[in-house]
Amino acid sequence: MFKHPIFALYGMLLLGAASLASYRGFTFSDVDTVRGVPKSIRDNPGAYRAIYSSYHRYSGGK
Amino acid sequence: MVRTLECPNCGGTVQLKYERTLNAVCIQCLSVLDATTPALQILQKFQGAQRYEPRIPLGSRGKLATGEYEAIGFQMRSIEVDGVTYSWAEYLLYNPYRGYRYLTEYNGHWNDIRTLRAIPTVAKSMSKEALMHRGAKYTHFQTATAATAFVMGEFPWQVRVGETVEVKDYVAPPSTLSSETTAGEVVWSIGQYTPAAAVWTAFGLPGAPPPAVGIYANQPSPFKGRVATTWALFGLFSLVLILAMFLLAIAMPGQRVFDRKYSFAPGTGEPSFVTPIFRFEGGDRNVDVTINTDLRNDWAYLSLALINDDTGVAYDAGKEIGYYFGTDSDGQWSEGSRGTTVTIPGVPAGTYYLRVEPEMEKDGRYHGMNYEIVVERGKPEYIWLFLAWFALLIPPTITSIRAFSFENRRWAESDYGPLVKSSSGDDDD
Amino acid sequence: MTNAFCPSCGAPVRFQWSSAVQTTCPYCRSILVRHDVNLEAVGKVADLPVDPSPIQIGTEGAYREKPFVVIGRILYKYELGAWNEWHLIFSDGASGWLSDASLEYAVSFQRPLPPNVPPARELPRGWTQHVDNVMLQVTTTTWAQYAGVEGELPFEYWGKEQVLFADMRSPDAQFATIDYSEEPPLFFVGEALEFDDLRFKNLKRIEGWS
Repeated sequence: MFKHPIFALYGMLLLGAASLASYRGFTFSDVDTVRGVPKSIRDNPGAYRAIYSSYHRYSGGK
Repeated sequence: MVRTLECPNCGGTVQLKYERTLNAVCIQCLSVLDATTPALQILQKFQGAQRYEPRIPLGSRGKLATGEYEAIGFQMRSIEVDGVTYSWAEYLLYNPYRGYRYLTEYNGHWNDIRTLRAIPTVAKSMSKEALMHRGAKYTHFQTATAATAFVMGEFPWQVRVGETVEVKDYVAPPSTLSSETTAGEVVWSIGQYTPAAAVWTAFGLPGAPPPAVGIYANQPSPFKGRVATTWALFGLFSLVLILAMFLLAIAMPGQRVFDRKYSFAPGTGEPSFVTPIFRFEGGDRNVDVTINTDLRNDWAYLSLALINDDTGVAYDAGKEIGYYFGTDSDGQWSEGSRGTTVTIPGVPAGTYYLRVEPEMEKDGRYHGMNYEIVVERGKPEYIWLFLAWFALLIPPTITSIRAFSFENRRWAESDYGPLVKSSSGDDDD
Repeated sequence: MTNAFCPSCGAPVRFQWSSAVQTTCPYCRSILVRHDVNLEAVGKVADLPVDPSPIQIGTEGAYREKPFVVIGRILYKYELGAWNEWHLIFSDGASGWLSDASLEYAVSFQRPLPPNVPPARELPRGWTQHVDNVMLQVTTTTWAQYAGVEGELPFEYWGKEQVLFADMRSPDAQFATIDYSEEPPLFFVGEALEFDDLRFKNLKRIEGWS
C-alpha cells in the first residue's frame, strides 16, 4: 500500500465515493426534480405538467 | 614501485606500475609488450590503429562499495550481430588486497563485474536456457563471439587485439552471469547493473555521465515487483468492496413503503391519478419505484412523479414498458420486460404520494393492463460499487502493460528479439 | 622441541607449531627438516622473487570465527604468474592452507583422497566428485612448479618437479584442489572467501594503499 501511494489514495477515494453513492443514492438516470408543485394536484392530477408527458412511440415486436 | 622502461617499438617511455603485470601497452604506439622480459619484448604492434579514450582515466582511483580500486587496464571489445558491430568498454580495476574487478560500459549502461568462484547449475526452463546461481534464475540472453578491439594499460594476463572468445550472457536483473570460453576453458563472471552516476561519484569524474541509451540486458525494471504489489493492492480493495457490499446489504434491507394494484384501460377518461400518502422516515435514502404489469405483446408508458406533499418537490420520471413474445423458425422468443424500476436517489424524509399517468395505444391488442406499484426505500445502489471495481482495475492494468513493454524492449536486444507476445507475459489477467 | 639452533649457521630457530616437519632458518635461509630432536639442513632457498601478496609470515586472520596465524608458505610459479599457499595454524592447533592466486582467497584443509581420482595426465576438465554432499567439478588445471618455501610446513617440500593442480568448484563457494605433487595425490577441500571475510591483521604494508 505504501509502495503505491497514488493508487492507494485513488482506491480509497473511489471506494468511499462508491459506498456513499450506494448508501445515499446517486444516479444519472432520467429523474428530474420539479419544485413548487401545488397541493391541488392531489385533487386534480391531470393538471400536473409532467416533464415526460405525451410520450408516443411505437415499439413493436421482433 | 614504478619501473620506467623504453618501448622497443617507438622508443617512448613505458611505465610499469603494478608488480603483477604480464602484458602492458605502450601509451604512444599501442604496442602490446611482455612486461616480464627486461627488454619489453613486443608481442603485437599496429599501424594507424584507432584510439579510444577511456572515460575513467587509467591510474585514477574510485571508492566502490567493496573498497577502493585503481583503474589499471582498458579495453574495447565488440561483437557483430547481423553485420552490425556493437562495442563496449571494459575497465580492469585493481586493489592490491582485494584483487581485480571490472567495470563495463555500453551506451551509458554500466556493470560492476567480478569473476565467479562457483559453477552455476543448469535450471529447469520452459523456453530459454537458464542457470541457477545462489537461488536466482538467470535466463539466457545472448551468445556471441567477442573480439578485443583495443587495449591500453597493464594486465596481469595475456592480452591481444583481435583475440576472440565466445561469450554467453544470462540475466536476472539487476545481475548478470557471463561465461567466456577460450580453448575449452570456461571462465564465469557475475555483474551488477550500476547507475552511471555511481561510477562518476566513485571516481570523481568531471561533468555528468552520458545518458544511457535504450534498455540494457540486466537493467532492473522500474516496474519489477510493482506489478505484483499493484495487483495485491487491487485484491485488497476488492475485498474491502465485497465487505462494503455485505455491510450495505445487512444495514440497508430496504423498506416496502407502498404497494397497490391498479388497472388501466386507454380512452376511458382522465388517465392520471394520485396514490394515497405514505411516509418516509430517517435521512436521505434511495427510493425504488417498481412497476409490474401483465402486458402481453403490448406496451405502456408511465409518467411517474414522486411528490413531497409538504414541500411541493416532485421527482419526475417516465418509463416505457413493453413485452413481446412469439414463435418463429428459431423457436420461442420474447423481448422486453413486464416490469421496470425507477431509482430516485437521496430522497429526504417526509410525506409523499405518487402521481401516475399511464398511457397505452387506444387500439392495443388487449385494451389495457393490470399493474402493481411498489415503493421501497433505503435499498443500496450496488451499481456504484461495481463501477468502482472496474475503475480500480485501471492502475494495475496500466502497470502490467508498462512492465510488459519494458521487458519487451529488453528482450528485443537479445537472441530472442524481436519478442513475440507470448502467453507468459500476459500477467494482467 | 620448540626451540633449536640452525645446524647451518647456529641461529636460534623457534617452532610455533609442534607438528611442523620443515622450516626455514630466518637468517641463512637454510631449509631445515626435523628428525626426532635434530634439525637437518637439506638445502638453501633461493632468493624468493618480489612477492606482491599482502600476506606474510605472521599475518593473522579468522576463518569461520576461528583465529589463525600464517606460519609457512609455498610459492608456486606457472605460465601466467605465481601464487602462494600459506600454511595456517589455527588457535585449536589445526593446520590449514590459504591460497592467494590472483588475490582470490580460499581456505582449505587436507582431506582423505577420494577413490578413483584419475592420474594427472588423465584428469578431464569437468571431472566431478561429491564431498559431503557437495558437487565439486574440475574447472581449471594448472601445471605449476615449486618456486620457494618459507617458514613451517607440515611436510618436506623443496625442489619438486612441475606438477598438476586441479581446482574444483561447486555451485556455491566450496572449493577443492587435487595436488599431484605426491603419489597418491593430496586432496584439499575448503571455501572461496572475500578479503573482508578473513579479517586480516598484520598484513604487508603496500605503499600508497591502506
